[in-house]
Amino acid sequence: MTTAPSFLSGFKRRLDFWNIATVVVLAVLFVLLILPVFSVFFVSFLDEDTGAVTLDNYVTVFTRNYYLKGLWNTLFVGGLGTLGACLIGVPLAFFTARFQIKGKAIVSTLAILVLVSPPFIGAYAWIMMLGSNGFITNFFGRFGIDIPTIYGAHGVILVFTLKFFPFVYLMTQNALMSVNKSFEDAARNLGCGPMSTFFKVTLPLVFPAISTGAIICFVLSIADFGTPAILGRGFRTLSTIAYSAYTSELGGKPTMAVTVSIIMMGISIIALVVQRRILAKRRYASALTNLPKPDKIEGVRNVLMHAYCYLVVGIAMFPTLVVVYTSFLNTKGPVFQPGFGLTSYARVLSDAPEAISNSFIFALTAVVLIAIFSSLISYLIVRRDTAVSGAIDVLMMVPYLVPGVVIAIGFVTTFRSDWFDLTGTAVIIIMIYFIRRLPYGVRATTNNLRQIKPSLEEAAINLGASPLSAFAKVTVPLIFPGMIVGALLSFITAINELSSTLILYTSGTATMPVKIYISVLDGEFGLAAALSTILLVSTGLCVYAVFRLSDDKEGSFT
Amino acid sequence: MSSVEISGVRKLYGPVVALSEIDISIKSGQFYTLLGPSGCGKTTLLRTIAGFHFQNAGTIAVDGAEIQELPAHKRNVAMVFQDYAVFPHLSVFDNVAFGLKQRKVAAAELSERVDRALRMVQLENFAKRMPHELSGGQQQRVGLARAIVVESSVLLMDEPLSNLDAKLRVELRAELRKIQQSLGMTTVYVTHDQEEALAMSDVVCVMFNGVIQQAAPPFEIYDQPANKFVASFVGGNNFLTMENRAEGLHMVAANAQLNAEALDVAAIAAIRPELVKIQKDASVDTNQLSIAGKIEQISFIGREIELHVAATNGEVIKSITRPSPEVISMTVGDSCYAVINRDDVLLFEDTETGARIV
Ligand SMILES: Nc1ncnc2c1ncn2[C@@H]1O[C@H](COP(=O)(O)OP(=O)(O)O)[C@@H](O)[C@H]1O
Ligand SMILES: [Mg+2]
Repeated sequence: MTTAPSFLSGFKRRLDFWNIATVVVLAVLFVLLILPVFSVFFVSFLDEDTGAVTLDNYVTVFTRNYYLKGLWNTLFVGGLGTLGACLIGVPLAFFTARFQIKGKAIVSTLAILVLVSPPFIGAYAWIMMLGSNGFITNFFGRFGIDIPTIYGAHGVILVFTLKFFPFVYLMTQNALMSVNKSFEDAARNLGCGPMSTFFKVTLPLVFPAISTGAIICFVLSIADFGTPAILGRGFRTLSTIAYSAYTSELGGKPTMAVTVSIIMMGISIIALVVQRRILAKRRYASALTNLPKPDKIEGVRNVLMHAYCYLVVGIAMFPTLVVVYTSFLNTKGPVFQPGFGLTSYARVLSDAPEAISNSFIFALTAVVLIAIFSSLISYLIVRRDTAVSGAIDVLMMVPYLVPGVVIAIGFVTTFRSDWFDLTGTAVIIIMIYFIRRLPYGVRATTNNLRQIKPSLEEAAINLGASPLSAFAKVTVPLIFPGMIVGALLSFITAINELSSTLILYTSGTATMPVKIYISVLDGEFGLAAALSTILLVSTGLCVYAVFRLSDDKEGSFT
Repeated sequence: MSSVEISGVRKLYGPVVALSEIDISIKSGQFYTLLGPSGCGKTTLLRTIAGFHFQNAGTIAVDGAEIQELPAHKRNVAMVFQDYAVFPHLSVFDNVAFGLKQRKVAAAELSERVDRALRMVQLENFAKRMPHELSGGQQQRVGLARAIVVESSVLLMDEPLSNLDAKLRVELRAELRKIQQSLGMTTVYVTHDQEEALAMSDVVCVMFNGVIQQAAPPFEIYDQPANKFVASFVGGNNFLTMENRAEGLHMVAANAQLNAEALDVAAIAAIRPELVKIQKDASVDTNQLSIAGKIEQISFIGREIELHVAATNGEVIKSITRPSPEVISMTVGDSCYAVINRDDVLLFEDTETGARIV
């Protein structure tokens, strides 16, 4: 009676929609992710002139002073920026999670706005304030006081700290709010004072969250290009070294740019692995039986605490406000004039209208693709328990870890050959937005899909719907909120993308961030401010939409 | 109305054998229940029939046509899910209409059939509601209506009542059986609740460790369990140690010889508590066995009394009996006899699924 499935029926069975989707997704990830990253990786092991396989490029980086200094600088500003972010983020989280803070929602909203505004805007706003011609510098200069300018390592560290602390803050706050209060009560009961309870019990319990926030800060700082590029002035990090190596090697093989980039990636990966190792030993399951309630405190301590919270987000937001303010100052060419007006906006429309349309067209096209692919990919990850789905899940980590410069150079080496050349096209920028921001979409839809019982899709199939039709009629409507949140998050991060666009753009495909970057370097601060404001408003509207649509508002951004 | 024939079905999850050599034959219109403890493979078997995963070997035929190679959506075997699986974004009406739309049923007929199905599960006034406006019991009625409306060849149900509270479970159980009978649908029902299985089914199929232990009508399962596992899983049972002696099988607690030859494997006797009588004196009837002991525990459980008697060899025998004056007069510690009919004693090989010794 027992018959083995015939070969043909076995084949037909494998031809189902999800197997086809798996193949398509793998093909896309292969072409847009694996191939570019590997080609970059490969180039770093080739001799620039002879093409022979060699380790010389790495030897050069680790022996030449120029590169070693860059490596050290990168670790220095990354490390201190992360430390700074923890030092201001953890107390802020503790205050908002454990005490009644008036306007707590505003504090976290502002922190999120800080998070999503492009880092180079912050850098450039600080130049407006503390640059060689900054208004604070000039103000003190009038009294003959020379205050230190923002340029150099300390400026970069300051911007990183103020830019990335929200990651630490939001993750720690979330952890603090879900720590079982009984642990702390037990410590108090055993004789610990409030301080020693915090350091001996609470802090260790939220350490995993703090370290996750810190590692995000670190990885982003390492890869950040805009801040050191604008504020560095001779202070070079690996990302600026890679970029200038790339532009000077133009035409030739980007060997050194690539080697430096690979080292950046290596640092991020090592940091992540180390953090995972440390965390592996510290998994605390917590039953949410006794959730902490915010205490109310009185008097001076209460005032100081409120002052701290407002001050931190206030200072972090300040650059943004300066940018918006500046955009309404009258200008004549690059020179600011007295009075307010819309001259900068008029210049945007006359000089760089295509930057706005490019930004929106590229980001929106990428986001539509991201929404489609992330729904498919999250289905594969959540519902299909195969090795391939597991591999796709792991691959989704890669774009987080690969600096924009690396993947952009990878795109150039992969998509430019003798018989076809995508560089300089809109397509290549859309593709890079797509692949770099895909994980945001996948994460949002995956979280959504995990809440949905698989039996719903099975019921649809059982009632006669094909797998594709069950997906379209049942799964997609149910994960739609996740798709929208994911799309908004990818949009926010795509429209603010600088480092890889800078390598891939041509005059016809410049985007807002690129134009801002160029304007800042050209001293066109009014133009840069107006473009930045447009970018900030677009971003802000998306953040508002995420807030409206998402249950876990703050969690969506970390 | 279709017959189902399952032969030689085997299913592995890696090294785990979830189903081994399953052979099942279900007649048209039968209510066929898979009963067994958690993890025995009931869900796996049901989902294999539905096509949610593929068997490693074996065939599944409905009305003689093999379906085991068809994808799930082409099998036409409607399923009712344990967690209801009512589409949360569709109204009750649209939920029930889902399968008919897949089958491209014309609008007029569709709405008539949906209405009829909703009437059958007493939800005719809830057509416009959304699922979150329904109780668990009502949601499961939607699940049922959605499955019966497509008039598929077989109806599959995986513990459809297990998420409901006890009272509703009993109510819905009777209703379900009535609807099934009135439509004459061949039904495969999964449960771990033996009472439910016995009360509803035409045939109960007891499973353990992916193997079918016995498939028979409820009374036969209860009265003539095919092996020790069935005897212990369905209904209460006393198990008493047997010794293989040269002259035959010897029941240790009663210190008596049974009419059975000695075996080369260990044996054990089973006797239902309701077949054990407790009395002050030993029985003189040679067709009966008397086990001397002391009363260890007495509990009144409504209509009946449950007594535990500790035999002299330490084994405890349970008895469930009507509260006769003799029983009522007994107290804990009293000496007594547990009396059983020799014919009521069933003998099994003493392994987990030890076979019945005839
Ligand atoms: N997807 C799966 N992967 C691996 N093992 C499984 C899977 N599903 C079920 N099993 C195993 O198969 C056996 C039968 O499971 P199941 O059919 O769910 O039992 P039941 O429904 O009778 O409780 C169990 O041992 C279970 O652990
Ligand atoms: Mg089950």
